[in-house]
Amino acid sequence: MFLNKNKVFDLLVYFISFLFFIALVILLSGIFFKTSIYLFIKELKNAGLWDSIFLSFKLSFLVVIINLIIGIPIAYILSFKKSKISFLLDLISTFPLTTSPLVIGFAVLITMGSLNPIGKFLIERGIKFVFTPKGIVLVQLIITFPFFVNIVKTSFDSINRKMLDLSKTLGASSFDLLFNLIVPLSYNGIIAGLAMSWSRSIGEYAATQMVSGVIPGITETAPIEVFVKTSYGNYPAAITIACILMVISLFSLGIFKYFSYRTKTTVY
Amino acid sequence: MKLLEIKNIKKSFSNKNVLNGIDLEIESGEISSVFGYSGEGKSTVLKIISGILKQDCGDILLNGKNINNLESYERHTALVMDEPLLFPNMNVLENISFGLKLSSNKKRCVKRLTGSKRMLNSPKEIIELLGITGLEKRYPAEISMGQAQRVSLARSLIINPEIILMDEPFSNLDIISKIKVRQLIKDINQELKISILLVTHDIEDVVNLSDKMFILNDGKIQDSGHPKEVLKKPSSIDTAFLLGTENILDGVIFEIDRDNNLIKVRIKVRNEKIEKGVIIEADFQGNFEIGEQVFLAIRPEEIIILREDRQASKPVRENRFTGKIISSIFTSRMMEITVKSEDNLEFKVLIPFHAYEVMNLFEGKTVNVSLKKSSIHLIKKKKYLGHNSDYNRYYKL
Repeated sequence: MFLNKNKVFDLLVYFISFLFFIALVILLSGIFFKTSIYLFIKELKNAGLWDSIFLSFKLSFLVVIINLIIGIPIAYILSFKKSKISFLLDLISTFPLTTSPLVIGFAVLITMGSLNPIGKFLIERGIKFVFTPKGIVLVQLIITFPFFVNIVKTSFDSINRKMLDLSKTLGASSFDLLFNLIVPLSYNGIIAGLAMSWSRSIGEYAATQMVSGVIPGITETAPIEVFVKTSYGNYPAAITIACILMVISLFSLGIFKYFSYRTKTTVY
Repeated sequence: MKLLEIKNIKKSFSNKNVLNGIDLEIESGEISSVFGYSGEGKSTVLKIISGILKQDCGDILLNGKNINNLESYERHTALVMDEPLLFPNMNVLENISFGLKLSSNKKRCVKRLTGSKRMLNSPKEIIELLGITGLEKRYPAEISMGQAQRVSLARSLIINPEIILMDEPFSNLDIISKIKVRQLIKDINQELKISILLVTHDIEDVVNLSDKMFILNDGKIQDSGHPKEVLKKPSSIDTAFLLGTENILDGVIFEIDRDNNLIKVRIKVRNEKIEKGVIIEADFQGNFEIGEQVFLAIRPEEIIILREDRQASKPVRENRFTGKIISSIFTSRMMEITVKSEDNLEFKVLIPFHAYEVMNLFEGKTVNVSLKKSSIHLIKKKKYLGHNSDYNRYYKL
């Protein structure tokens, strides 16, 4: 028969996938039709626009670096020190993924505010998180570290435990293990995790908005700028920034996908 | 000199006792092996010695020093496992030199250079010794299993460990690589006088390699000694079974004649009372009493099938039985024959294939077999004493 059951199945699967895919592309690229090339290029030359983008880059770079420093120890505990506590730690480190970013931002705003004992204690010592870039880094860290930790943990999980045990008997201490074996064998996972957390950080809006106070040039990141420009009715500027953000996330997603595919295809 | 002493090691996993008090003593420069069924906790012993697992109780002494509280990396007991487990991110040379760049070994190598043992310190020397020259730049995925296992061995040799612990190192190798690696281990032991503790479920490995063997059964060391001795004279019925002594007969000591170096055993014939049993003579063995219940063990390769065309020499005339070949199976090296005697006794016999051909043996043929006195080993039946209702009747014999 020309159309057997399996061919019908394939057709259906492809049809549904492509239909949704085309709808998504039309929806997202729709913003391009609201402006003209002339206006787009004019906006690209606007220095204020680049300020917000550079600020986003700067802050997300910091977030990524902090992620690297705290994320590897957390992933190490989750992957290698399995116990009752690690379940709790796993829960906590995945919690921000499922919570509304707005709530996280709100929590930081309240905790770090001058009315809260913790916030008061820190503010008295000159450490201010509310309405400062520091606050933005803090909330973005909370939101992005689960991505990094989970990707790195998966990568750690795939390392042969017997091999690690054997290398201990060759004289390798935990430090030697981490720097000579675990990290080198997880490069792909670590880079994929960094790309993912960077991408998430640069596009973060809700939580950032809560603590930023929207001060132009200081705490106004690119996604906030999109919202601000839209509320003023300055569509060409908003569209331009939105386009740049989309290109950035497409690029970093590309990095993530490339390296996470490599993690899966490299057999250890 | 005693290198490693293990005293009363116990270990249980989630309420299942795996080791119930293990005692081992390993001499410096020897190859020792722990033999036992799969899943008896042999690997656990090695993991405890190397510090990967902590024992529930008991002591481990290395060179007379208690190492209970040392971490794996401080013990210098290198482990070689059934898989090569090479580091996939390093090439062969980097794999071998791994131990050299670790700080725990750097301090130590210098300290031990004055020792009498020949030391291997450069990767090049080791690569030559193990015959893996030319592979240095290759990655683990690009070499064969046998080569990888040698690299794994080289990787542990370079740190000059106190002892190398081998966990079934041949189980994943084909028969040719297996023989080669076995020989290699023998050579290394002789050349470097390095102590090796081997864990295996293959009796061939034990007999081929080791100076001393330990039999691990039921979470305890049941037997130990030189493999040839243990193989010929297992101290318990469990050990005899484990070692593949298939001819085990039930009997009672009938007569002890110390002067003539003789001990006679009456063997229970199937479905008959003991009084009607046949008598088998063995060389005198100590500590038996008349009337004592024993097991009589003889290894299948020690039983002789008499040739019809030749006059039998004196020893082969001992303990003669006439019987029929009821089955003959061709195993990889030998013919495994089962002979059923007229008294209904069954003997497993192993003979070389060419002998089987020359003697024109076949299933159903009637043959004469002989059990050499010197190859018969008697095992005390302690465990069953008192439990057996027939015991008293046996005793009165």
